[in-house]
Amino acid sequence: MRDRILTLATLILATLAIYGLTQMEGSGSLVSALTLVFIWSIAAISLNLINGQLGILSLGHHGFMMIGGYLTALLMLPEKERSPFRTRLLSDWARENLDLNRWLEALGLGFLAQSTDAKFVIALILAGLAAALVGLIVGIPSLRLKGDYLAIVTFGFGEIIRLLPNAPEVARFTNGPLGIKGVPGDAGTLWWTFAVFLITLWFFSRLKFSSYGRAFEGIREDEIAAEAMGVNLAYHKVLAFSISAFFAGVAGGLYASYLQSVDTQTFNFFVTFFLLVAISLGGLGSITGAVLGTAIVLLVRIYGGFLEEPRPAYVALFAISGLMILAFAFSVYIRRARHLRPVIEPKHLIFLGTGVGLMLLTLAFFSTPFVQQEVQFFGMRKILLAVLLILIMIYRREGIMGRSEFSWKLLFGPREDIPTEEQRKQDAWLTNPELNPDAGKGNNGAS
Amino acid sequence: MEARVSTMRVPITTRGTLFVVLAVFFLLVGWRIQALPDYTLARVVQDFLNALTLGSLYALIALGYTMVYGIIRLINFAHGEIFMLGAYFAFFAMVLTPLPLALALLTTLLLGGTALLVTRSLFNLESPKKTAGLAFPLLVGIFVLLGFRQLGWIEALFLSMIATAVSGVLLELVAYRPLRGAPRESMLITAIAASFFLQNMGQLVFGPYVKGFNPETVLNRPLSFRIGPEEVYFTGVLLVVPLITGLLLLLLNFFVTRTRLGKAMRATAQDAEVAQMMGVNVHQVIALTFFIGSTLAAAAGVMYAIRFGQIHPLMGLLPGIKAFAAAVIGGIGSLPGAVLGGLLLGFIEIYVVSLFPTLSAYKDVFAFVLLILILLFRPSGLIGEDLTEKV
Repeated sequence: MRDRILTLATLILATLAIYGLTQMEGSGSLVSALTLVFIWSIAAISLNLINGQLGILSLGHHGFMMIGGYLTALLMLPEKERSPFRTRLLSDWARENLDLNRWLEALGLGFLAQSTDAKFVIALILAGLAAALVGLIVGIPSLRLKGDYLAIVTFGFGEIIRLLPNAPEVARFTNGPLGIKGVPGDAGTLWWTFAVFLITLWFFSRLKFSSYGRAFEGIREDEIAAEAMGVNLAYHKVLAFSISAFFAGVAGGLYASYLQSVDTQTFNFFVTFFLLVAISLGGLGSITGAVLGTAIVLLVRIYGGFLEEPRPAYVALFAISGLMILAFAFSVYIRRARHLRPVIEPKHLIFLGTGVGLMLLTLAFFSTPFVQQEVQFFGMRKILLAVLLILIMIYRREGIMGRSEFSWKLLFGPREDIPTEEQRKQDAWLTNPELNPDAGKGNNGAS
Repeated sequence: MEARVSTMRVPITTRGTLFVVLAVFFLLVGWRIQALPDYTLARVVQDFLNALTLGSLYALIALGYTMVYGIIRLINFAHGEIFMLGAYFAFFAMVLTPLPLALALLTTLLLGGTALLVTRSLFNLESPKKTAGLAFPLLVGIFVLLGFRQLGWIEALFLSMIATAVSGVLLELVAYRPLRGAPRESMLITAIAASFFLQNMGQLVFGPYVKGFNPETVLNRPLSFRIGPEEVYFTGVLLVVPLITGLLLLLLNFFVTRTRLGKAMRATAQDAEVAQMMGVNVHQVIALTFFIGSTLAAAAGVMYAIRFGQIHPLMGLLPGIKAFAAAVIGGIGSLPGAVLGGLLLGFIEIYVVSLFPTLSAYKDVFAFVLLILILLFRPSGLIGEDLTEKV
């Protein structure tokens, strides 16, 4: 009961906050940042279903998003944008028939065509279904494979889907490298994405704790054991794949609407990589983690622009040497935390030495033109993301959340990881100083 | 269980497949010559040269993939970027030399020093005498190369192979070694991240532009010969690339089959744990694999750059993926498989476009389609061991 009230209160608060944000003057960048967080969270949550809960590395998510994006864009393209001049490579057939208005009228549902919002609902669902269908087609043969072979096949399918729109035969449906411009932006707004995000969140959290979710996690832990317990491997894998593709398609549609255009570069492999960083950072297998990771990674992407501004070279040199010294400090911290001796690994002194040396050299040659010149670091944010992912994989594979989810109990309830006084008394091992050297030193023994 | 890094023997069953493939190929070519007036024997020969070159480049890159996969079961996504680094190192070696002596000395100390440290520990040259014996030619050689005149492409190739090999080993050391024993998915994700890192670092350091790579060599001079009424045009590169590839292959085969380290490598591929118990330094062997793979990738990178006349930081992406496809097609973990797969892919890419010009827009898709088909119907590749997991 308490949890429900809290959830409801949070929802109302979030809605009010979004309302306030949209009403506020000059909040445009914040609104679009939040919109992006919602769109990418949907995609990340869906990827998390395969990569985290099912434990299968899928690298073709950008393909599913692309299908959703293209289909939404085509279905929603207004009449004046459909002219042969604007969509040069689109065949006449595609120009006339890939139109939601026409479909609705043919079905006798012309009244729905009056409202853009209603049309978007239909278009997004269709986009999701198309992506799910492709997910099914891709999934049924490829899910027979395992591990990195599967990853490569999904990657291959994703790349094929990405490369196809440029081919002349397919360009009659996709407008080729020109892409589709002038997509209505209605569904790319904050309200829309927030709503779809909530639906996604609700669906996936229900799914995770349903029998299906348990089956997925069973497959992740041990396929053979899961099969022995009566889990139909192929069915569950294909199901998860299709669900994931569906939501990826919806996210792609929302993104196309947000950008008001879609072309072959919109959904490249970087999209999947980005999502992978997000869910790895948040914790593979955790929906909360997926949202959290997406938010953090997007913050770097949106507000990290200052990293790529032109500035004098000495700033960069100082930054590099500072990072070297920090890396050394980090290694000392890690080794201390892991009780490794010696705390200062001699090899790691190279970092300290290089850092300090570089700093001294920069200071010594401070007035030379080389050090004073303006430099600009394009792509610094992507480099940062890549380094972040490597560091996560090396030092904290479980990410921020591990596999656990956010719950009110976690915030307000009694902590389950620390035993109560009663439990401690019952546990002779914890309280007996002869057996447990940490006994009587507060909580150390239990944590 | 068979050795994962198998040697150059081709199983008999595969020979049958090969004959079928060849027969289909000749039938197609014959039919096309007969059906199309502009498709002549001269064009078949020209395509053959192109395909052989492209195929041997893919084969060289694929070897790196297959060796690393055979040993640590890691798809080294960053291998394509190593290939790119190789091309860039050669480019800078050719453009920037002769360096001012002070700079040449500094570079020699940095590059030669690292190379010395790496080779010393990788090839068991730790005794002072052997180290000194290695250090002298290495350091003096690099210094002489860098300091006194503009480099030709062969010297640049040599230098680039050293520098790239060192980069490959460093990559293994920094990114992959800490993950030894981690789940394979984590290693794959790390490899993808490393690939992205190198791509973007390349754009940052080398500039995101296409650079021309047209060294003034005999290789670029257009040559031609006659077949009937038509002329076949080619350049020296088309002949040199397969030659160098063949030479490197022979060396590699010798190394893997005839030396102690090669034996250690095969043992590690077969079972790392048992190999370790038998006294094989597994870390060393893995680093060595990266060393050799990167050397071959660098050679491929330089020759690819000379062949196509340009380099850019994302050049490793497609050849890398295609070479990976080649490795899988041939049977990942198998050296002859990688060569076979590379050649096959090169031939398919050139001949399909040439025989069916309408398909040229799908050129880059072939590799993936073939990859998927192979993985679905014969996951062990043309020549490869069965990889199904056992309980």
